[in-house]
Amino acid sequence: MKTRWILMAYAAISLLALMLMLSRENLYVVIALVAGILLLGHRELWSLVRYGRMPVIDERVQNNLTGAMRLTGVFFFIASIMLIMLLRFNVFKNTPTELIISGQLVIVGFVYLIGYYYYDRVRPYLGERATRWLKICLITAGLCLSTIALAIVLHNLVSSWFGFEDAFFFIIALLVAPAVLVISLLGSLAIFIKGLSASFSGIEQA
Amino acid sequence: MKTRMKEYRARLGLTQEKLAEIVGVRRETIIFLEQGKYNPSLKLAYGIARALGAGIEEIFIFDDDQT
Repeated sequence: MKTRWILMAYAAISLLALMLMLSRENLYVVIALVAGILLLGHRELWSLVRYGRMPVIDERVQNNLTGAMRLTGVFFFIASIMLIMLLRFNVFKNTPTELIISGQLVIVGFVYLIGYYYYDRVRPYLGERATRWLKICLITAGLCLSTIALAIVLHNLVSSWFGFEDAFFFIIALLVAPAVLVISLLGSLAIFIKGLSASFSGIEQA
Repeated sequence: MKTRMKEYRARLGLTQEKLAEIVGVRRETIIFLEQGKYNPSLKLAYGIARALGAGIEEIFIFDDDQT
């Protein structure tokens, strides 16, 4: 019941933000908000379209929703800090701010979706070892993202302080961290798909 | 945790969907429970046991190795 109220409050706030952004003609943010609402409420919308009623939110679904929301919240917090850092150092030159915020909103929606599917479908079918590896890959990816942002900032700082073009943080930001990020993301994706396919075949057999 | 839900459900001629409806959960939750992929709360375990006309300890068998 509590989860349903949280979802309804979230939808109401999103609709309010949507109307506000529409009135201010920030179309990028409007599109991102619509995409976000569709991603967050895809189960409810699908159930309404297909069965004409809201889906049951039982204790398992509640736990999954809580887990996905917590994950999304943490991601949103970290992404916002990184974004503020990058904006502060004027990394996104000539890019409209509303486009950047829209991108962040859509990515947050995707993170929620992936988080929900992880808790709902993937985690029950992953063994302890695979779960541990998935955690390692995701933490590494998160650290790489932070490293990229930090290295860009440090590159700018060192270059302006010492008056020469810094190479160390430049290589870290453009080569090392992205390479490790790609590897860790591919690893996470492989484990995720493995768990998801095991889940689909497991549910089909039931 | 191992369960004998499937066996008791078959005895009563209940489908997963029907049992889910009686207990007030999603069909997927019943599937995960039957496969031992989800540990229910005491409240849900009690509801399932009651719907299947048995005691909790008959339906859910606690595995000592998985503490």
